[in-house]
Amino acid sequence: MQKINVVIALLLSILLTGGCKKVLDLPEEREYLSENINYGSQILEPIIGRTNLMGTFNSDDSSLPLTFEIVNARYGDGRPVTDLFQVRPTYVWIDAYDGYEQSLEAIEAKRRLEDRPLFEVRESGQFILWASSTNELIEPRPTDSSNLVQDIRFFDLKVSNTGGTVYLRDFQLIPWRERPYYPFTDTNPYTGEPAPDPTDPANPDKQDYIRPRLDNVIGANSNRPLQSNDNIKDVVVYIRPFEGGNGHNLRLKFMRPDGTFMNPDEFNETKWDQLVHGFNLVKTASYVQYDVAYPIPLVNIATRYTNENGGSASIDIEYSRRGFSGGLTYASFGLDFNIYRAGDWEIVFHFRNELPKFEDE
Amino acid sequence: MKTVRLIGIVAGLLVALGSYGQTNVTVAGNVVDENRQPFPGVTVFVGRPLRALGTTDENGNFRFSVPPNSTLVFRIIGYQEQSRKVGSDRESLRIQLAPDANALEEVVIRGYQKRSKELSTGSSFSIGGDKVQDIPVANVEQLLQGRVPGMNIQLNTGAPGFRGSTQIRGLSTISMTGSGNQSFLQPTSPLYVIDGVPMDADRATEYGFQQQGPGISPLSLIPQEDIANIEILKDAQATSLYGSMAAYGVIIITTKRGNSPIPRVRYTHNSFIKTPPKLRETLGGNLERQLKLKQIYENAQDFWDLWDVSGSPMLSDSLNAYWNNSTNWQDYYYRTIYNQSHNLAIDGGDQLFNYKANIGYFSDQGIIRNTGFSRYNANLRMEYQPADRRFQIIGSVTGQLGQQSVGDGIGMLQTGIAENGLSSTLLPPPSFYQAGGSHASALSTDNDNATRLIRSNLEASYEFIKGLRASTNVSYEFESKTEDTFTPAVANNQFARVYSYNGRTTQLYNRNSLNYSRTFLERHNLFVNFFNEFRIAGRQSSVTRQERSPNDQLQGPIGFDGYFSRGGGLLDDYTDERAASFAFAASYDFDKRYVLDLSYRLDGSSANGFENLYARNPAIGFRWNFDKEPFLAGLDWLDYGALRLSWGVNIIPTGTLERIYGKFNITGNYNGQQGIGLDFDQIPNPNLMPKTNTQYNLGFDFSIFNNRVEVIYDTYYKKVENELFEQPLSNITGFNKLYSNGAGIVNYGHELFLMVRPLPINSDFSLSFSINGAINHDVLLSLPDGFDGQFIRWEFDPNEHYQHIILRVGGASLANYLRINDGVYATDQEVPVDPVTGLRYQTNGQFFQGGDPILRDLNGDYILDGFDYRRTGNSQPIFTGGLSAMLTYKNFGLNINGSFTGKRTILNNAMAQRLGLMRDPFGNKAVVPLDDVNMWQQPGDRAQYPYAYDYRRYGTIQPFRFDQTLWAEDGTYFKINSIVLSYMFERDFIRRFGIDNLRIYLSGENLHTFSRYSGPNPENVTTMGRDVSEGYPVPRTYNIGFNLGF
Repeated sequence: MQKINVVIALLLSILLTGGCKKVLDLPEEREYLSENINYGSQILEPIIGRTNLMGTFNSDDSSLPLTFEIVNARYGDGRPVTDLFQVRPTYVWIDAYDGYEQSLEAIEAKRRLEDRPLFEVRESGQFILWASSTNELIEPRPTDSSNLVQDIRFFDLKVSNTGGTVYLRDFQLIPWRERPYYPFTDTNPYTGEPAPDPTDPANPDKQDYIRPRLDNVIGANSNRPLQSNDNIKDVVVYIRPFEGGNGHNLRLKFMRPDGTFMNPDEFNETKWDQLVHGFNLVKTASYVQYDVAYPIPLVNIATRYTNENGGSASIDIEYSRRGFSGGLTYASFGLDFNIYRAGDWEIVFHFRNELPKFEDE
Repeated sequence: MKTVRLIGIVAGLLVALGSYGQTNVTVAGNVVDENRQPFPGVTVFVGRPLRALGTTDENGNFRFSVPPNSTLVFRIIGYQEQSRKVGSDRESLRIQLAPDANALEEVVIRGYQKRSKELSTGSSFSIGGDKVQDIPVANVEQLLQGRVPGMNIQLNTGAPGFRGSTQIRGLSTISMTGSGNQSFLQPTSPLYVIDGVPMDADRATEYGFQQQGPGISPLSLIPQEDIANIEILKDAQATSLYGSMAAYGVIIITTKRGNSPIPRVRYTHNSFIKTPPKLRETLGGNLERQLKLKQIYENAQDFWDLWDVSGSPMLSDSLNAYWNNSTNWQDYYYRTIYNQSHNLAIDGGDQLFNYKANIGYFSDQGIIRNTGFSRYNANLRMEYQPADRRFQIIGSVTGQLGQQSVGDGIGMLQTGIAENGLSSTLLPPPSFYQAGGSHASALSTDNDNATRLIRSNLEASYEFIKGLRASTNVSYEFESKTEDTFTPAVANNQFARVYSYNGRTTQLYNRNSLNYSRTFLERHNLFVNFFNEFRIAGRQSSVTRQERSPNDQLQGPIGFDGYFSRGGGLLDDYTDERAASFAFAASYDFDKRYVLDLSYRLDGSSANGFENLYARNPAIGFRWNFDKEPFLAGLDWLDYGALRLSWGVNIIPTGTLERIYGKFNITGNYNGQQGIGLDFDQIPNPNLMPKTNTQYNLGFDFSIFNNRVEVIYDTYYKKVENELFEQPLSNITGFNKLYSNGAGIVNYGHELFLMVRPLPINSDFSLSFSINGAINHDVLLSLPDGFDGQFIRWEFDPNEHYQHIILRVGGASLANYLRINDGVYATDQEVPVDPVTGLRYQTNGQFFQGGDPILRDLNGDYILDGFDYRRTGNSQPIFTGGLSAMLTYKNFGLNINGSFTGKRTILNNAMAQRLGLMRDPFGNKAVVPLDDVNMWQQPGDRAQYPYAYDYRRYGTIQPFRFDQTLWAEDGTYFKINSIVLSYMFERDFIRRFGIDNLRIYLSGENLHTFSRYSGPNPENVTTMGRDVSEGYPVPRTYNIGFNLGF
């Protein structure tokens, strides 16, 4: 009997070990990490002062999720780069903004301040330059528009999963200086100085402006439709900070040729309460003021306060008067704009040459 | 031992002396078999040494005069010997013989030679022909399902005349053809050897779904009534002697031979009903309209959506008689059918000369209208062997005709039927004046496929000196295949169309063998077998296509107009193959205790190319019959026990001449010279290696307590290397693809067979219960260099559902590459928000909301896009097996068979399609009730399936997209394959009517499947595990039949 037991024990040991994967010397299943992962572009040119989401990463069917790490950040001449990784509080969204919030508090409840490095990469492989970045924290590209290698920040990206690690080398980060608002046509993006007039670029006394759209706005004196283009600038817009607000005010102003301000009530068809996603509307004889949340617009979705694709806030100032045959004729002017930096801002429509015609025909 | 024998002899002599001079007594009696049926031909012996008295007559009766107090011994091959002592008075005996169940005394066939199973070192499994009776099937293969450990048969189509998939020991290939739902794993069926002639069972299906010609499986042409025995060879030791074609296992089918001194006529009849499975429920008539309107009212996004209702008379004009219907479309296509089969077998003869004829008819008209299969066969066989047994000649002729219709489908897929069955019930039923093209196409397409096969086989052998036998075998097989499809004008834009295919396959086969067996020094046995095989295989087929025939009456002959001919001509499957093989096998055993098998085979084929002209298949096997060891000799309870160990290699040449040397086309003239240019589809690869299949097997068999418990256990490791791999190439190479090696798979697993016969043999009851199972794991071993361990087979055509297949080294070979579904968003708030952009998770520019599927954002960019796929599931089953119980009581018999398949991923595409029907309430598709579906209905619902009624966002969100794990379900099932209840009439009773025996039986097939799978049938899926709603459903069969003998 003992011999049988020995035989059985021997058999069992063979059978039990025979099924084991290790004994059979089979390859372990690993996650897959392609050698050919890449980005659409390795040169990142974000604009400081707003949240930039950059990078089109192609995982080439690597097993997801991947972990990304920025390593070896340095200038072209070898100096280490540290300014990008300063930690500052910045807004992150925790709920979806939809444009129907009834108060500033409701909006603020959907986002919160978090401490984040100014520049980071997330698990999708997308790079983020947060809105907390400023020209002071991150030196923008040189104002002389040169692009010298010692001024460029380089870094490498370490991409890994359990299947291995791949380094993508020599990303370039060449940030633009802050552009706190849009359209930014009145400013030179390299220097931050006023932009030259497109028809007369050498003339230091002239500059380019932000131009509104105008529809059927007739000049009071000339009786012709007012225009705003390269040659004729009947109306221009200034987007500028003002003093004395509560820190998150937005004012709309309408300036006469003489520098005084018009009464907003003259634009009789304007629905002031639906113009911007703002609250606590204050209308005085010289301006209309809202309490708003910055940036404007908050999120890139189409709402009733934005243009069709949701990329910019959109305002239209309207008025009506009697036309030639006695019917009402409507006129409007407006602007699609963004404001990225929180503060007290005013948008001034400046009628430079003459006032619009409000009288009936 | 010697003394015991001596005492016996002395005692026998004394008895003989003592009885001398006494008067004999007359003993009469009756011998019956295990079914209590009279047993003719049983030899009765008496005395010591045994002296034959004679045999029982046709009624099993005997009457002999023997010395008193002697012992009678009853013997017949295949049954256990019985002995009975008689007294000194006249006696009447009733003897029941039990079948000899000792598996070791079975004969197995190795390299076309009969060998004792006791000496076989490889892994094989035998099934008696009686196990495949009583259930009428077109293809006998399906009755093997769940009977053989390690043989995975999936009855994945109910199409009459087609065969399911058969795999022995897991996956042998990762080659796929077709795309999407029609992805078809290259069939790797075992080699079938029918009465000594090899046959390629994949012949009809090697091109997958989209083959040309009739898809009648050659296996469907074998009548089940004519099968005597089936043996399945699994490991490489057993198969290597059969060469390259046997790399995926061998199934040896032996047909019946004559064995009755008095000619017997046996008739088998089956009448059976096939019923379609439960079909898709649809809402009919007004219910459909109400549901569609409700859907529109509740999900319209603006006024214009509602306005569209008035533009859709089907919905708005309910009083219009034209639209006011409730048509059950599926009822037009699916039916319950009655079929019959008849089989007449005549046999007679004895060892010297015997003959057999089998004539049969089988019909299965198909549960889908306009499909069906019928078979006619006539098999003849005769055998002559003079008394000295030195010379033997066997001749046989087989004629088989299979006829089949697949309507306008292709058999396994009936796309037209499936599409039409989804039509809106509001549409008017088909009638003469408005028979829709697709409807007419499904029902009136006249499709007639026929396969006619004639095989003749002549085998002769002669024993020159004792132990040395030479034999030769010649067979010729001719198969003609035709397909005629006539599409009437109404089904083809008012012009009739004709398609005609005809092809033929021939095989001339010759085998010569020389074998020698000898015992020397008493206990050393040697068996040597040398044989060669020659094969000439040919195939040619051609097609005629005529786009327009003059009218519906002119169906042929055609060829009146070249303008409307769509060509055809010869197809490119032309084959003219010459193959020569040489094999040598030697077997040595010591006292039947230690057995060593060595074999080597060379396979040469004209299709191989000169680099690898001959494939070499070596094998070694070892067996230890430990029950014969002296130290175990005293164990009465151990009937036998053996340990087997084997190794073997099968080489399969995959390099066709075209793959090795490239294909050259005649391309026109250049400078007056004929140009011959390379075909740019594939780069020729002269270094292509043949596929290598290496297998190790360890087996352990034993039987204890007088065969009450029988166990066969095997564990194996099967490695497939140099798998042919089709590499798609970058277009800058100028070529499309490269066939290369470098892919490999490993299968390893365990197989167990357990049989228990708990009741004593002389009880009125007899019960045998067997269970078998196999665990098989397949692992992808390697991929060609340059893939770095991963290859994705993309399905980019939107009609193909984007259900990609991923191969990753180290994992199960064939996995799906899908989006991961984590449920359904209960509310809008659950949809995650991108902290950077403030936008909700989105796809195609549409934000997800409550009721949408949670599709995991794998890359973390808050956008569901083309990167969010992951490897998931395994399309191949891990567990397969079955169980069987046989209970007999007196003349009654009950036989139950079940099979199971476990742990495989099925993609329930049928469900996806069913829910997706709701995508367009303005369309002309049917709607289905979704009450039984766990679907999101209102915010807060925790549901499995997303909201189906939001038709406005369907196009962007695609909640029922096919490429998600929502459809991935566990395909584990247990199926009751069959139940047979039989009754054998008492012989005395039926003799009065001139009938020799009569047995009637009731049987049912495919009776019930137990599964948690939500679809209709977890087995009725493709080899890649997709449940295709266009598939041919597997019917349920109820049968009543009888065997009648004269």
